[in-house]
Amino acid sequence: MAGFVAVLRKDLTLELRGGESTLALVALSILILIVMVFALNPVGGAADAPIAAGALWVAMIFAGMAGAARVVLAERDNGCLRALYLSPLDRGALFLAKLAAASIFMVVAEAAVVVMLVLFFNLDFDGRLARMLPALALGLVGFAALATLLAAISGRVHAGDLLMPLLAVPLYVPALIAGVKASAAALAGAPWSALADWLRIMAAFDVLFIAAGFILFEHLLGED
Amino acid sequence: MDAPLIEARGLFKSFGATPVLRGVELEVAPGRGLIIIGRNGAGKSTLLRLLAGLGAPTAGDARLFGVSSRKLEPSARRRLGMLTHQSYLYPNLTARENLEFFRALYRVAAAPTEIPRWLERVGLARFADERVRAFSRGMEQRLALVRALIHRPDALLMDEPFAALDPDGAELAATLIREALERGCAVALTAHRELDFAADRCVSRELVRGRLLDSGAAPARTDAEPRLAHAADAR
Repeated sequence: MAGFVAVLRKDLTLELRGGESTLALVALSILILIVMVFALNPVGGAADAPIAAGALWVAMIFAGMAGAARVVLAERDNGCLRALYLSPLDRGALFLAKLAAASIFMVVAEAAVVVMLVLFFNLDFDGRLARMLPALALGLVGFAALATLLAAISGRVHAGDLLMPLLAVPLYVPALIAGVKASAAALAGAPWSALADWLRIMAAFDVLFIAAGFILFEHLLGED
Repeated sequence: MDAPLIEARGLFKSFGATPVLRGVELEVAPGRGLIIIGRNGAGKSTLLRLLAGLGAPTAGDARLFGVSSRKLEPSARRRLGMLTHQSYLYPNLTARENLEFFRALYRVAAAPTEIPRWLERVGLARFADERVRAFSRGMEQRLALVRALIHRPDALLMDEPFAALDPDGAELAATLIREALERGCAVALTAHRELDFAADRCVSRELVRGRLLDSGAAPARTDAEPRLAHAADAR
């Protein structure tokens, strides 16, 4: 637990100082959202709920690939990832600390994106947004877990940076579909029961990605 | 003789078709030092990486504390100190924050004065709250020495520990390594040429084309100060 806290505190200190991951996430998310608005030309209101939900998730995923992975990739500066590998820190705890840091950065970015989404799609700040939060939270944690895992893999292989987008999207598709459906239903004012199945699917994916990361991180950090 | 803390048995390493290490055998007991001398590209850094468990050997075994280096438990990893060409320091953290982080990582129950004392010792007290990115290479190397030693490791692997250090810094590094040896730490370090320090505890062996030649006694010290001629070359 002490190691988890030390790594998370260090990552947050570095982020507060440099802001690289969060700024990249926010800027890229908003840019993607703007492109989607221009491309789809929404009329606003509940009728655009599926489009708004789709735009939100596209922004989250593509920005997340650039930003969330940095919590692992930044450790390669000065060989710091090797220092963590050699330290007595449990590698599962290291994965969880990195996941927590990536999730926090994504929460900040997504908060900004949701505000922009409301403005661009002429939505109301009401209970429908609150109903979308569980889907966003589950999707965000799952994607952060996947991005952290893939970032560790990408450091081991030639041209690993290319691997990240090639693997992240296909692996995340089931959770993405569930997230978009749940968000669209929430924005359209559907009852909780209409969201429940989608949320269960997302929760299952979160458990899968987090468990995979917790178990595999140790093997992915070593070198050949 | 005490059981060796650092060992290599028939260690081979190839990158593709290029052999780098060819059957390296070594062992370092507690309180003893091994100076691995070799030219650029001789395989010194690769050997240390394998000993630390950072890479997988093509054949043979690298062991720390009697266990294969790739299978060290956290309690064994806590006993290892490593110094490489990379400082393993976070450029955007201050010197003090870096040491606090590694102290927490290694669960060192040190007094609050411990870190200022270390910084004072390596001549960085004035720069305690400066970010490492503003440090010169030599300052970073001094801080990296503290990072490698702050948890009082039982085994030290050091890749050219005197590189980038000025004569005072090289003398300081020699003193710190000597102290580690005297408290029973096993040390394996690399250098480009013979080092004349801790001759009573260290043995020099030359790594030539991936083969570690038989040991010979380190040259006797000829004056009161350790001669670290290569430190000047490395700067």
